[in-house]
Amino acid sequence: MLDVSDLHVSYGNVEAVRGVSMSTTPGKITLVLGANGAGKTTTLKAVAGLEKPVSGKVTLDGTDLTGLAPHKIVRHGVSLVPEGRRIFGPLTVAENLRMGAYTADKSLVAETLERVHEMFPILQQRADSAAGLLSGGEQQMLAFGRALMAQPKIMLLDEPSMGLAPAIVDSILAKVRQMADSGIGILMVEQNAEAGLDVADDVVAVARGEVIFAGAASEARDNSAVLRAFLGEAALAGSDD
Amino acid sequence: MSSFYLTNLVLVQATITGLLLALSIQVPIRMGVFSFAGAGAYGFGCYAGAILVLDYQMAAVPTIVITGLLAGLVVLVVGLLIAKLNGLYLAMATVAFCLIISVVAINGGELTGGSTGRYGVISDFTMGHMFAIGAIALVLVALSERGKLGRRVDAVREDPELAASMGINVRRYRLVAFAVSGVLGGVAGAMNILVRSAVSPLDIGFPLIVLALTMIIVGGSLSWKGAVIGALIFTWLPDLLAVVGEWQELIYGIIVAIAAVLLPRGLYGVYVDTKRSVLRRRRQEATDKATAQTPPPTSTGDTTDIDRLAPEMEAQR
Repeated sequence: MLDVSDLHVSYGNVEAVRGVSMSTTPGKITLVLGANGAGKTTTLKAVAGLEKPVSGKVTLDGTDLTGLAPHKIVRHGVSLVPEGRRIFGPLTVAENLRMGAYTADKSLVAETLERVHEMFPILQQRADSAAGLLSGGEQQMLAFGRALMAQPKIMLLDEPSMGLAPAIVDSILAKVRQMADSGIGILMVEQNAEAGLDVADDVVAVARGEVIFAGAASEARDNSAVLRAFLGEAALAGSDD
Repeated sequence: MSSFYLTNLVLVQATITGLLLALSIQVPIRMGVFSFAGAGAYGFGCYAGAILVLDYQMAAVPTIVITGLLAGLVVLVVGLLIAKLNGLYLAMATVAFCLIISVVAINGGELTGGSTGRYGVISDFTMGHMFAIGAIALVLVALSERGKLGRRVDAVREDPELAASMGINVRRYRLVAFAVSGVLGGVAGAMNILVRSAVSPLDIGFPLIVLALTMIIVGGSLSWKGAVIGALIFTWLPDLLAVVGEWQELIYGIIVAIAAVLLPRGLYGVYVDTKRSVLRRRRQEATDKATAQTPPPTSTGDTTDIDRLAPEMEAQR
């Protein structure tokens, strides 16, 4: 189980994350909602080690990961899929996947690759084409596949649906559900709240660096605090009239 | 030995030291570290080589090995001190390092010989040594561009954050870049002093940065072949331009400006592009012949798309 408790992260004088707590366990998707600048991405980055938290704790199955370097956190089984489908365009699909296995147990790589190909058949079909030639949805699947190659216990997904055609968003999020069902715990930041709520188990809503709601996905749908978080203040002001 | 080789021996030597100097700047750039510390290491190497031979009566090979290691260590320490800097700020800090080396050279008393520098550095150094060391350096750098290591280096440059979240120790790669840059620069400097036998503060410092940067910008910054092309051009060009007399500097400047504007990936990039387009044309002719015999395929859209993009992606590698 990944447990984030009372996390504080600052950029210089600006406190971007102020005491955020959230958690996820294998098989579960925890959805993190919030408006732009609410601190969602910063929280994920701090969990992955890309930002140093000022205070608070990140633990995985009781092991303290707080403030470790990112390459060490990967070795503990926490894999980040950063936003914007960052893949290595000039490298082939197969090479991208192989780079994902950098920290993996080498004896299990072939087996992991087979599982990744099973989950994302397109990555096998296009194994030798340059990753930059894939469509947006395919690139996102490659980003997932590459993270899976590290054999993670926990995956941190930053806006997997960003910039994708609406028709593809659902199939990408269905893949997220599939990855969770295969026994991985997922912490997912997603702007597309409607689609995200369809696959998530739990929801954490953040605003201005603080948690304003935490609970089951089913409760989140009717909660005004959640509405406020992912649509911003304007939505609530608008809903008054 | 041909008479051409003998009359141009100085230029041959300058090409090899220039090549190593260019590589000392290119290696960190390939890892996304804009460090010019290699030029400082070159200055350090000139003086360290002179001191080891003159004051410690050391032979050529140990002088070069020790100078290379010392320079690597010094630049590694610089790298540790400025590990948190990036981009322009990091570049400025490494320029400052080069200037500090010059200041130390002027004010180093008997050790560095002040403004006259050190001279009379004669050792058992031969052209055989020089070619061998140049070749070893070139092979090692070329190997770092291939296979697994090459892909990791590319990853660290293209997207350090993503590289780190895949488990690559980005900080270590960057520090290694500093150390390698120091070794290359130091060895280049040591070889320079062993063939030229004298060094003064005027020989080191800022112009070295300009020279090294010019070589890899015009040659090509992401492949050792670019450094070779650049080192060849900018060692031999000034000599060839001697014909035009006082206009030499101007023509030199125009060539650099044209290269920077028109050839963003350097001459090596132009070579790669030309090779691709020739291959593509041949392939096109072959398919044209084939389609003349068989009915044209209905879905050509995909293949032309890929044909257009593939060379660009290849060239970025």
